[in-house]
Amino acid sequence: MSKLRLNGVSKAYGATLALRRGDLEIAAGEVHVLMGSNGSGKSTLCKIIAGSVRPDGGQLLINDKPVAISGPQAARAAGIGIFYQELSLASHRSVEENICLSALPRKAGLFIDRAVLKARAQRYIALFTDVAGEGFHAEALVGNLRADQRQLVEIMKALASEAPILIFDEPTSALDRAQVDRFFEILRGLKAQGRGIIFISHRMDEITAIGDRVTIIRDGETIDTLKLSETDPGTVIRLMVGGSSDMPAARSSAPAAVTGEAEAAISVRNLSGKGFRNVNFDVARGEILGLGGLHGQGQSALLRAIFGASPVASGELTIGGERYDAKSPRDAIRRGCAYVSGDRGRDGVISGRPIIENVTPIHYLRDRLMIARPSRLRDKAMPALEAMHTKFASLFHPINSLSGGNQQKVIIARWLIDRPDVLLLDDPTKGIDLQAKSDLFALIRQLAAEGLGILLYSSEDAELLGNANRILVFNGGSVTRELTGDDRTRYNLYQAAYEAA
Amino acid sequence: MTSTTTDIGASGAGGLRSWLQRYPFLPALVIVIALLALNGIFSPNSLSFRSITGLFSTYMALIMLAIAQTYVVSAGDIDLSAGATLSLVNVAIVVLMERWGGGAGAVLLALALGVLIGLACGLVNGIVVTALRLQAIVATFATSIFFTGLALYVMPVAGTPAPAIFWRTYGGRLLGVPFVFYVLAALALLLFLLSRTRIVTELLAVGDDQQAAYQTGLPVVAVRIKGYLLCGLFSALAAFCLTGDTASGDPLVGGKMTLYSVAAVVLGGSALAGGWTTVVGSLLGALTIGLVNSLVFFIGTPSEWQNFVQGLAILFVLMAGVLAGRRARA
Repeated sequence: MSKLRLNGVSKAYGATLALRRGDLEIAAGEVHVLMGSNGSGKSTLCKIIAGSVRPDGGQLLINDKPVAISGPQAARAAGIGIFYQELSLASHRSVEENICLSALPRKAGLFIDRAVLKARAQRYIALFTDVAGEGFHAEALVGNLRADQRQLVEIMKALASEAPILIFDEPTSALDRAQVDRFFEILRGLKAQGRGIIFISHRMDEITAIGDRVTIIRDGETIDTLKLSETDPGTVIRLMVGGSSDMPAARSSAPAAVTGEAEAAISVRNLSGKGFRNVNFDVARGEILGLGGLHGQGQSALLRAIFGASPVASGELTIGGERYDAKSPRDAIRRGCAYVSGDRGRDGVISGRPIIENVTPIHYLRDRLMIARPSRLRDKAMPALEAMHTKFASLFHPINSLSGGNQQKVIIARWLIDRPDVLLLDDPTKGIDLQAKSDLFALIRQLAAEGLGILLYSSEDAELLGNANRILVFNGGSVTRELTGDDRTRYNLYQAAYEAA
Repeated sequence: MTSTTTDIGASGAGGLRSWLQRYPFLPALVIVIALLALNGIFSPNSLSFRSITGLFSTYMALIMLAIAQTYVVSAGDIDLSAGATLSLVNVAIVVLMERWGGGAGAVLLALALGVLIGLACGLVNGIVVTALRLQAIVATFATSIFFTGLALYVMPVAGTPAPAIFWRTYGGRLLGVPFVFYVLAALALLLFLLSRTRIVTELLAVGDDQQAAYQTGLPVVAVRIKGYLLCGLFSALAAFCLTGDTASGDPLVGGKMTLYSVAAVVLGGSALAGGWTTVVGSLLGALTIGLVNSLVFFIGTPSEWQNFVQGLAILFVLMAGVLAGRRARA
């Protein structure tokens, strides 16, 4: 008998298929590991089980009985507790209130029973005594806690659901060794009680330490379920990567190195900041340097810091041989940096304004333009847009009338009017269609050929392998491996990304 | 700012900050005491028992309205129709009391109906904002016009007097103590009881991070509607106090009070974004506005400059309070 079974569950967000066919079977008394690369659909699968995302199709069975879960409340009633990767805490409430928030104990039908609440919260807080760290107590406001302590509160909150089925979506990412050990002890206890536990982690050592079985998800599809005792990390990674991992197609198609002794477009020495530390590299003119690794390992933070959008703590940056202190994006732009983010809505698009206004702001800044004639601006904007094969009705249509891919082309075009020296690409193809992607990368390679130094972070490994001359793999904020030449294979990329931090 | 990853500050902060976190209304209290002192300096008479009584009976309506606003603000919402709700209840109870003869029974019945009207207004707001998912600030602005329209239908012109028994009670004394202090005591008890209910904690959790609250399994829509119901209830209570103070009905009386109530909430130390509010602070915030107004009068501001100085003074107090509050949170 299985505690929980999912048959062919699917979910699409607009045109993006987040989950194509999710199958999963959890037995009582097991820790079931979910593995898959960035955006493979693990979190979506978990949220569907927890009721916070409604599936488009498929079937969910609890104790072999089909159930429909209409929302988080219904999931809770059905016996499902979840640890959310992005946490679900109220930062101005206390630790104990957060732990009990979903079912505040009542007395006289009306008032919160503080004594019961305290006692209940204390049970879970006590599980982590000695490892929770300084300043952690029942009445502390969650917002005052450190990241690892907040993660512990979310763990306690999930445990407090006392649900027979528990989901932990990356519960250990901020925890230290002692905290992880304590958490695993607790998980083993729960396992002994016959609970079914879903566990997601990107640390191979943790997975082998606690997991019983592993289900591998790739591109929104369940690939296989294996017993961890009968398999090895290599097999698991090979399954995540896909059968073609050793095939030439999975190798990088980009040239291994830039020819000749090209001068460095940008050099980074011992750069540290919030989210990354001790990063060193040079990007030659004409080179595309890929930043790889799992999502959120410091790649975006590094790019934003270089662009002056977030502070640099220490280290040195030189652009074209000159020392440069990234103080603000304004500075960075004047020094010839360009930054394109995948998060267009936040970082790029001037929403609701005509395309021409969206193409020209950088030109305004770099040329210190005060008064502009639309006709002259058009002459500048058109070549940039045409280089990108941007499809649009007229320059004066609002940018929102374009598709995501074309919007992104407009954003990139704004940097092409005045050529930058360094192009920082922060997951630039997020949420855009295939045609636009291939246009984009064709252009990026052409820009490199024209002598730009390009830093490319992509959450899709194929994009890195297909375009980057070298790949730096990030793990826990620092570069753990550099892949060059024939080492640039999908397998190596995954292996480096999944190594214990 | 409501995301769970917001750093409110390093742990183990100084004593002042932990005090401010536990009692976020402290800056407002200091400001009220300072304003009382200033009032006393410019007009010693203003600190007499009689004047304080007068202050409370005049501003009890704003206190109630500010508290009403606090509950919706807790959940990250806002109610720009609170003043219009007050107007509607005001004219409705005055008309009903008059129709039913103005006796004690009529008054009590009219008050009961007034509470229901307030709750109904709250329910309308709650449904419009949460179920129809309209922006709270615009939707409640629209309902405020709608409620004002109803009030104008009930009483087209201001001036119908309230029965003597009603305003004499409100303005009078019971066992030697001014009635308004009984109101204040009852309010304190009500607030104390409410603070221990689930709904207030749930409102604050929703205001803190709505998505997180939903994922936690809180019935977010129901919680927000309850916030608007509480707002409607306290708006009705505000209308009772106002009617007691002015002794008449006026279909437009509450309109200008709405933004004062929002200002009082902020003056009291609550965060307009939600998740961090204090009803005691809102009470003090309303008093602050009252004291600023009387201070402006006592220092002898020429009448044509009174609004200007009032505005300046409130701005100044707001700055002082918000800076202190921000230090507590940031």
